[in-house]
Amino acid sequence: MFILLVLVTGVSAFTTPAVVHTGRVSESPVTSEKHPVLGDDCWFRGRDFKSELRLEGEPVVLRCPLVPHSDTSSSSRSLLTWSKSDSSQLIPGDEPRMWVKDDTLWVLPAVQQDSGTYICTFRNASHCEQMSLELKVFKNTEASFPLVSYLQISALSSTGLLVCPDLKEFISSRTDGKIQWYKGSILLDKGNKKFLSAGDPTRLLISNTSMGDAGYYRCVMTFTYEGKEYNITRNIELRVKGITTEPIPVIISPLETIPASLGSRLIVPCKVFLGTGTSSNTIVWWMANSTFISVAYPRGRVTEGLHHQYSENDENYVEVSLIFDPVTKEDLNTDFKCVATNPRSFQSLHTTVKEVSSTFSWGIALAPLSLIILVVGAIWIRRRCKRQAGKTYGLTKLPTDNQDFPSSPNQIKEMK
Amino acid sequence: MEICRGPYSHLISLLLILLFRSESAGHPAGKRPCKMQAFRIWDTNQKTFYLRNNQLIAGYLQGPNTKLEEKIDMVPIDFRNVFLGIHGGKLCLSCVKSGDDTKLQLEEVNITDLNKNKEEDKRFTFIRSETGPTTSFESLACPGWFLCTTLEADHPVSLTNTPKEPCTVTKFYFQEDQ
Repeated sequence: MFILLVLVTGVSAFTTPAVVHTGRVSESPVTSEKHPVLGDDCWFRGRDFKSELRLEGEPVVLRCPLVPHSDTSSSSRSLLTWSKSDSSQLIPGDEPRMWVKDDTLWVLPAVQQDSGTYICTFRNASHCEQMSLELKVFKNTEASFPLVSYLQISALSSTGLLVCPDLKEFISSRTDGKIQWYKGSILLDKGNKKFLSAGDPTRLLISNTSMGDAGYYRCVMTFTYEGKEYNITRNIELRVKGITTEPIPVIISPLETIPASLGSRLIVPCKVFLGTGTSSNTIVWWMANSTFISVAYPRGRVTEGLHHQYSENDENYVEVSLIFDPVTKEDLNTDFKCVATNPRSFQSLHTTVKEVSSTFSWGIALAPLSLIILVVGAIWIRRRCKRQAGKTYGLTKLPTDNQDFPSSPNQIKEMK
Repeated sequence: MEICRGPYSHLISLLLILLFRSESAGHPAGKRPCKMQAFRIWDTNQKTFYLRNNQLIAGYLQGPNTKLEEKIDMVPIDFRNVFLGIHGGKLCLSCVKSGDDTKLQLEEVNITDLNKNKEEDKRFTFIRSETGPTTSFESLACPGWFLCTTLEADHPVSLTNTPKEPCTVTKFYFQEDQ
């Protein structure tokens, strides 16, 4: 009973991750799942996972994800309608702050109450599709900035580039629009040598990026609509990444050929030296005739061991074994390769399995046997000689017993 | 637990044993380290990748959207050829030609099951080349076609055979995910 209980617990422990896994996988196609909603025959293609996060008082443009960007035909536009999930009324209705332009919905200026789920419906003669997207309008205070910021990355010591994102709807040509850049609350003015926004104002160049350049930036565009000026703020969090120095891996074993006997289990470790630095992202694996082991041996006769990373006297190693269970004839004609790679290099080492030849194995068996025969033979000869010596040269025994020859203890030993 | 003592108890334990056997048989493969490495990818205009309607899109992600960022799973084949995938290597990038059309596709195959010697897996192979700090990916099955994004945000990631055109971006920062 107890065993059964253990088994049940064990099985559930094993099966749970699998369930979680399938859950994760099925998450992505949700957007394409087609199921009718809202009473009519329109297919709901799901929610756009990317939500729009904007600041109060600023212009907001929602783009229907159903309409491909390339599709600019006027017929497709006229069939696009908008609504909010909490009401059946079409947008804009009588809301003067909202209007539809092509495949977008404009909100100007946005208020926090505009937050919510918007549904765009694309309809033509043959079909109807719907998709929902989320808008969140935050209070326009500094506390909101991290919540709405875009993440951008620059490499240390290189020229960094910040892009003021999602302004397409407000800029008719690239050089258009007045944009001001801030780091924190400090305006980065034109005379700044460190930060340069030349030509395209949506881009800010950072010369010789240092760790101190990381942090929050803000680009503010001035947008004029019907004689009134509005700000469009985009917050950017810049992360500065150091350049990782990877060691060049050195495969130190196995040898070019591995002796093995057919039918037996064989473990061939591939040992890779990774230098003395900190931990590395080097991965090591085996291949058989340029095919991954799991693919080449789906039944698992040949498998790879665990990725074993360890340090010996501050030197780092990775070891992955190739396990034959058992070795078969086929392995003798297979090209096995140990591969070690990291972003900096790619190393490989070929090896082949050689059957231990029969003469060689006989030699191993015969070696101690012949030694025994030799020793026995030597003793026998020695005894024979001794007997003869005792008979003929009996008198010579006396002087050696007096230890007159300490320099030759072997002789003494022998004479005794 | 009383049910377990019933006539089916043997059957259940047999089933459990079978389950365990298969689990233990699959164990080395499951625990074995992957040849796959996850990389953060962003183009030279700071656009990252995300999925929309099963399509890979390049755009700017803010706030909680940043968790939608798709990392690229890479399996190196040799010093320059790689397989590329997303979602833990369960969806792989491929170049498919039909007529005059050359398309980037996401296919539901396991990246570690791909075989570089198989002709049908050639479409999943990309040639990785580095110029300075950036990396570009050319399809092996569609020579001259490079992985690209457009200058504008929220457009699909695609392939281009005119990488020098100003409106396409074929250079990416490709850094292993730590």
